[in-house]
Amino acid sequence: MAHFQIKDLSFSYPTAKGRKSLDGINLSIEKGEYIVLCGKSGSGKTTLLRQLKSVLAPHGKKTGEILFNGTPIEKVESRDQSAKIGYVMQNPDDQIVTDKVWHELAFGLESLGCDQKTMRARVAEMACYFGIQDWFNRDVANLSGGQKQLLNLASIMAMQPEVLILDEPTSQLDPIAASDFLNTVRKINIELGTTVIITEHRLEDIFPYADRAIVMDGGKVIADDIPRNIGKLLYEQKNDMFAAMPTPVRVFYGAEGSGDCPLTVREGRTWLSKTYPEPTISTLPAEELDDEIEKPALSLKELWFRYEKDSPDVLRGVSAEVPTGTLYAIVGGNGAGKSTTLKAVCGICKPYRGKVKVFGKPVDKYKSSELFGGCLAMLPQDPKSLFVKKTVREDLTEMTKDEKRIAEIAAVCEIESLLGSHPYDLSGGEQQRAALAKVLLTSPKLLLLDEPTKGIDSFFKEKLADILCKLKEQGITIVMVSHDVEFCAKYADMVSMFFDGQMLTTDTPRRFFGNNSFYTTAANRMSRHVFSMAVTAEDVVELYGQNMGAEV
Amino acid sequence: MWAAVTGKTMRYDAFSKCHPAVNFLFFVGAIGMSVVIQHPAYLLAGIITGAIYYLLLNGKKGWKTILGLLPMFMILTVINPLFNTLGATPLFHFGSRPYTLEALFYGAALASMFVIMMLWFGCYNKVLTSDKFTCLFGNLIPSISLLLVMVFRIVPNFIRKTQQIIGARKSIGKGISENATTKEKLQDGGTVLGSLTSWALEGSVVTGDSMRARGYGAAKRSSFMMYRMTGTDWILLAVMLVLIGATIVAACLGQFAATFVPAIQLAPVSWGLAAYTCYLLIPTALHIKETIQWHISRSKI
Repeated sequence: MAHFQIKDLSFSYPTAKGRKSLDGINLSIEKGEYIVLCGKSGSGKTTLLRQLKSVLAPHGKKTGEILFNGTPIEKVESRDQSAKIGYVMQNPDDQIVTDKVWHELAFGLESLGCDQKTMRARVAEMACYFGIQDWFNRDVANLSGGQKQLLNLASIMAMQPEVLILDEPTSQLDPIAASDFLNTVRKINIELGTTVIITEHRLEDIFPYADRAIVMDGGKVIADDIPRNIGKLLYEQKNDMFAAMPTPVRVFYGAEGSGDCPLTVREGRTWLSKTYPEPTISTLPAEELDDEIEKPALSLKELWFRYEKDSPDVLRGVSAEVPTGTLYAIVGGNGAGKSTTLKAVCGICKPYRGKVKVFGKPVDKYKSSELFGGCLAMLPQDPKSLFVKKTVREDLTEMTKDEKRIAEIAAVCEIESLLGSHPYDLSGGEQQRAALAKVLLTSPKLLLLDEPTKGIDSFFKEKLADILCKLKEQGITIVMVSHDVEFCAKYADMVSMFFDGQMLTTDTPRRFFGNNSFYTTAANRMSRHVFSMAVTAEDVVELYGQNMGAEV
Repeated sequence: MWAAVTGKTMRYDAFSKCHPAVNFLFFVGAIGMSVVIQHPAYLLAGIITGAIYYLLLNGKKGWKTILGLLPMFMILTVINPLFNTLGATPLFHFGSRPYTLEALFYGAALASMFVIMMLWFGCYNKVLTSDKFTCLFGNLIPSISLLLVMVFRIVPNFIRKTQQIIGARKSIGKGISENATTKEKLQDGGTVLGSLTSWALEGSVVTGDSMRARGYGAAKRSSFMMYRMTGTDWILLAVMLVLIGATIVAACLGQFAATFVPAIQLAPVSWGLAAYTCYLLIPTALHIKETIQWHISRSKI
């Protein structure tokens, strides 16, 4: 008997005027399977997942049937559903109910009315399994995002569910915390046999290990197969989702390779070295970096900063020069002080030593109206912190009354169709663009972006990249802080490594990532043994093609 | 409970490790008695013991609070005779109203009560963290205790989000400029508050989902107990009850009697003071005992 049997399921929201969010879905999910559900934002992934748990199912018109262990889901008692179907959501913070880690772990068990003895045993068990013992007594407020999400997972696992449903659980986490989290999910699946149904933007970490991948588009299931076949299918269909596939898959089909498609970096390396043991052309030209920068848009000199008088320094002598008209990316670990650097430029944090110059003039010599009116602006990490009105249009009008200018910027950011919506009703990628539009209305010459690709899918990432390219053409200098090495490698002009409160190295992306062996892109890790300076999937495909040409 | 809100870490303290019921009973006793006792000897005992324990809990930073209480003490003391003109020994006249020595002493006694209460409440905040509080009352009123716990989480969240919104607005030139009028400041505050509200509402929908997804309302709730009564806890409880009992008996015998106006009349100091002081010294004694034990056990290694 299948664990979940979905028969001919259709669903439409009451406000959708008959447009179906789910359209004739038929799926069967076996016990112990690990299933990746992928699709663009708005393809109905979340709507489908929520149908699998009655208390979370949205209101609307539903036809068809969902069977859980052979019983229609509505008939499964809510107590059983709570315990047996675990559901982890996107936002690590809002899911947490109580203020202490131990209390959060026990929350589900308290709800089910477990007795002390069982609760003690389960809570202890979970804390050990998830490595939570060290922060068991802490306040939730003092945890990092990764720890919070792990706590959410643990507190659900404490109820010993049969199925674990995860809706983009890592979209708010940095890459290291994200892969830690996904490894834990995989461990649960392998060691406990819990069925896992997961949606994710970052397929690199989970795609190779899934038993099955299901692709959704426009509320329909368009593919349901083992991961190795999915890449081929999407490539042949020229589906937008192909861009979300792991790098080895994109390189393989991009280069029109033959044989089995590689899924992991390791498989990709084997495939490359089999094809080209000794390639004729092995490197791509890498741009040299100019040592002398004339008229930098932003220059930082020896910035020192700490948040409290007796706390350790966050910035420890940050120096950098950003040439005018470039896209400058700052990469580095969590809590290294990247965002703080941007805040220091904006004057949200005041460095106690050092100088910030914007277009050659010290930042404290500017009047604030002069600085933020047409010179400098920042897009914060959470775009929601910029929305203060009921519709996107009103939010934009707060910045300027000039209708023409709003229309112009809305066109650049491709949000014309969203102007009437409430900012909170937009998807992550849409919110990001709406917030960007609001920031652009100040007509900045220097634009600071804090993690602009956080929580958005590969399709929106490309859109964002297009927008950034357009802005660069208009002569705007962009400084971006990011964890997303793939994005930086592809689109940045210069990349800096931030570590231990300092800017350590700065180089062009090819030379920067080409010379790194750990902190680099999947494409580089996959190809560095045969090619050098190939840092994006496109680079590898190009070199592959060049070699193909050279052999002929 | 502020300790839980600000998320400050605790210094090591033996009494804090006892069962919350023991902690709670102690503070009920200490604060309860300090409200009724006006006898200077007992007040002095209260201030000294309270201050010692407060310093043990807070370390050097504790001095700041204690010194900060001093001006409070002075003000309360000198104010009393302005309202209370009874007393046999006028010091000087304030217009037609006498300013008497007895009323001044009475003021000092009232101010001491205030200081003692502040000290013990300060200790209470450090010792009885929110989770201990809910552990105590969770079983009696589950829904209210959960509500409290959620509020503890929301307050720091709100502060953080407000700072985030203000920072974000500043970096697009929508911050409060140096020469903003009060009206502009108010308007800006309103905008931030509005944004904060929609943010919070959205968050609470997710929290609600997360609660229901984990079976909230699906069955009768139980409460997870982090603490168990140990042998030491029972002994402490017994000692505390004996000492409280003794103090109450002493009170009934009139040992605490003290009148200030119109003339100062104090009951002679007797064994009641010993019982009262011993009671208040319990946390400190426990602290010292554990420190000594620790050093002995370490020196044996």
